Amino acid sequence: MTRLLAATAALLLTVGSSSSLAYLKLGALVNGHVIDATWQQQPIGYFIANRDSNGVTANDLRGAVERATNTWASVGFASVRFSYQGMTTAPPEGTDGRNTIGFLDRADLDRVLGATSFMIDATTGAIYEADVFFNTRFAFSVAPGGQADRVDLESVALHELGHLLGLGHSAIGETEGTAGTGRRVLGSGSVMFPLALSAGATADRVLQADDIAGISDLYPGAGSLMETGGIVGRVTKNGQGVNGAHVVAFNPETGVLIGNFTLTPAGEFVIARLPPGPYLLRAEPVDDVSPDSFFPTPVDVDFRVTYASRMVVAPRGGSSNSIEIQVLPK
Amino acid sequence: MTHLRQGFGGQGFSTQALFFCVVFLGAAVPARAQSSPELRAHHITINAGLLWSGGYDVGTATAQLRGNGSGPSAPPFTLFTANSRLKSTIAPEIRVGVALTPRLAIEGGASFSSPSIGVAISADAEAPPQELAGEELQQYVFDGGVTWQLPVSTGPRLALFVSGGGGYLRQLHEERTLGETGQVYYTGAGARYWLRGGHGTTKALGLRGDVRVNFRRQGIDFEDKMRTYPRFSVFLFVGL
Repeated sequence: MTRLLAATAALLLTVGSSSSLAYLKLGALVNGHVIDATWQQQPIGYFIANRDSNGVTANDLRGAVERATNTWASVGFASVRFSYQGMTTAPPEGTDGRNTIGFLDRADLDRVLGATSFMIDATTGAIYEADVFFNTRFAFSVAPGGQADRVDLESVALHELGHLLGLGHSAIGETEGTAGTGRRVLGSGSVMFPLALSAGATADRVLQADDIAGISDLYPGAGSLMETGGIVGRVTKNGQGVNGAHVVAFNPETGVLIGNFTLTPAGEFVIARLPPGPYLLRAEPVDDVSPDSFFPTPVDVDFRVTYASRMVVAPRGGSSNSIEIQVLPK
Repeated sequence: MTHLRQGFGGQGFSTQALFFCVVFLGAAVPARAQSSPELRAHHITINAGLLWSGGYDVGTATAQLRGNGSGPSAPPFTLFTANSRLKSTIAPEIRVGVALTPRLAIEGGASFSSPSIGVAISADAEAPPQELAGEELQQYVFDGGVTWQLPVSTGPRLALFVSGGGGYLRQLHEERTLGETGQVYYTGAGARYWLRGGHGTTKALGLRGDVRVNFRRQGIDFEDKMRTYPRFSVFLFVGL
């Protein structure tokens, strides 16, 4: 089941990188450059669509969304605020100047739990409207401890609100193929991983270090720049840059896992907003999920998992010297 | 000391070599302070030399993903495991001591070394086990302690002592962008061999060897455990 990264067509919305190359974020193409798509006014007001679905009421949905918004707002190094505006009879789609979150019957998206669409000012990158729908083709649950055979609504809401804030997908996760064409998550290190955990799981109600680094990069709060550090480098194969490689930074002291992608033809990457400390770097191809979930264009997945030869330190308030990770073809 | 030589049938054992054997067997020899060299009370001794510090583990860490299962938690999924080890190193060291009595001295030392942290990767489902070069640290140790010369007969040039103390550890990661501090405690033993002096007012010149067991707290450690490791050092010492 895929949580689709949706974008309203013809809005020049793209998945790309900001000038800092940090994190996979939603971007707007402005004068040939990709800039971050962000909310420039807060709090972000939202309405709940007054529609029930399969035993979950609109009021249940409101509670789940409120918990999810509180989770994003509680990130210490980020500055994010939401404001509930009330119920609405409008569906969570279309352009009406309101941010609407609700259930929607999307029979055409039979593998999509939910999706987020945007309206973006194509000259500034400012998001000025976003709608989130949860597909009524699935049975959701708001039970505090989760419910077997039902998908945890708060977990999906937390993921979709990450998109609403401007985050793209994270690739920190491992999957395996299932009967048919599907994939099953074996492990996930980010709420923003594109594939949801199995029905009944509630682990995605809690943001992971990767999510926190991403939102802190997009909406840096007080002290964020000075209290965190970054790692920069390149991934190369046969001397050429590898575009679309996934690089995970692992702090052996804290267990933190934070990832990002090489986002240029030269294979450059930046992993920002890291808690200061030493990190092991692991470069891997994006092969656990379709690269389409991350990139609008093909990327190189023909290389082996490779570690950087040495640990790299993310210094407080600064960035590491560039490190090169040389990968080999499979 | 002549009777000891005779006891070994005159086979060429030096008194000093014999003494080492006796000490390491744990058999005390009656004191013969009048024949052993001593430090000059209230005088300073400068020691300069090299140390060898043994390697030790600094932690095993497992990169884990949240497992996929019902409820708030499920068994985690292991992405890989990293076992890190600070490798042995040789470094210069200087120690300055003041003899409070002919047998008891207080001293302070400083050393600088560049050990590297090697990392062994295992349990990666997509990559074979491998050794990474790791990173090179810059390590400073400033310590203070006491040495006490054992009241045992060692001949006119050799004296044995025991030592103990503690100090401050500063470790800088590669690129000097992040530092960690810790403490080092030690206990050990050693020997001084006077090439000159050791009796009367003659200024001393000699060799010194130390064997220590070091106990390290904090510093760069991915598990925050006390680490124990051996340390050997040799010095040239000069009494002022």
